[in-house]
Amino acid sequence: MDFEPMDDFDRKLKRLFERWPAPPDLKRRLMENRRRRKERPQWFALPFAARVAVSLCLLAGVFAALYGGIAANQAEQRRKGEEARRQVLLALRITNHALDHMNRQLAAHNRARQE
Amino acid sequence: MKNRILAFIFAAAVLAVPALAQTAQLPAPPPVEKDLAARASSVDEITLSKNMLAAAAALFMNSKDKDEAATSQLVERLDGIYVRDYEFAKEGQFSIEQIEQLRKYFETSEWTPIVRDRDHTTGESSDIMVKMVNGKSSGLFILDVEPKEISIVLILGPVGMEELGKLKNLAWLGIMEGTHHTGPDNGK
Repeated sequence: MDFEPMDDFDRKLKRLFERWPAPPDLKRRLMENRRRRKERPQWFALPFAARVAVSLCLLAGVFAALYGGIAANQAEQRRKGEEARRQVLLALRITNHALDHMNRQLAAHNRARQE
Repeated sequence: MKNRILAFIFAAAVLAVPALAQTAQLPAPPPVEKDLAARASSVDEITLSKNMLAAAAALFMNSKDKDEAATSQLVERLDGIYVRDYEFAKEGQFSIEQIEQLRKYFETSEWTPIVRDRDHTTGESSDIMVKMVNGKSSGLFILDVEPKEISIVLILGPVGMEELGKLKNLAWLGIMEGTHHTGPDNGK
């Protein structure tokens, strides 16, 4: 009775050592997988120089995009600044016109008072 | 309890609205502004916030013109410049009531009139008010009315007229520093 677990183990082992027929399309599937893997371009399959060149190109692209973004932002800021500057000058011109009129009016009133 | 919370929120909202309105001051009451703009033959509306002024100051700073460099120093400290200029094709396009509304808009304890001039024969008038906060000037309001033109200028921020007067074209303001002038009808 004590050997029962061992029998069970034997049975499992025996089953594992049994020969099973391979699935009918196993070979075809394996060959297909192999072919597909070969067709796929592999990064590590590229020569070292090509890998460096691709990396440099990507890096240059990133820098170009960053530089472009910064330049566009600076241009936009400059455009806004120019517009604001133009408006400040117009505001000063209108203020000057108002003050000039005010000055003339006050001078006229002062003259009238003195006469 | 729920009603009390609702009442508190409502009261807070009611108090907050005028406070917000105060910070975003306009140079004229919106209905008057709209009506004047509709009647005018030519309108100049300039609204420059602190951000816009900072952008302009940066450009003025790079200028070789001495006056523009001085403008840069002044402009970068300001909180806003608001200008409205309405030109009319013929006389009588705006009413005295509208001008009074414009003046009343700034007749608060913060604003001190320093120039008040009226000419009843021509209908022309001029007003300069300064906003005083803790004894320091923090705003300037100019209202100039001609028979066919109204100019409204509101400059907010720490600005002295002496400083403004240093600018080209605004030298006249420098003379006004510390003076109080009233016209022939003595501020009527």
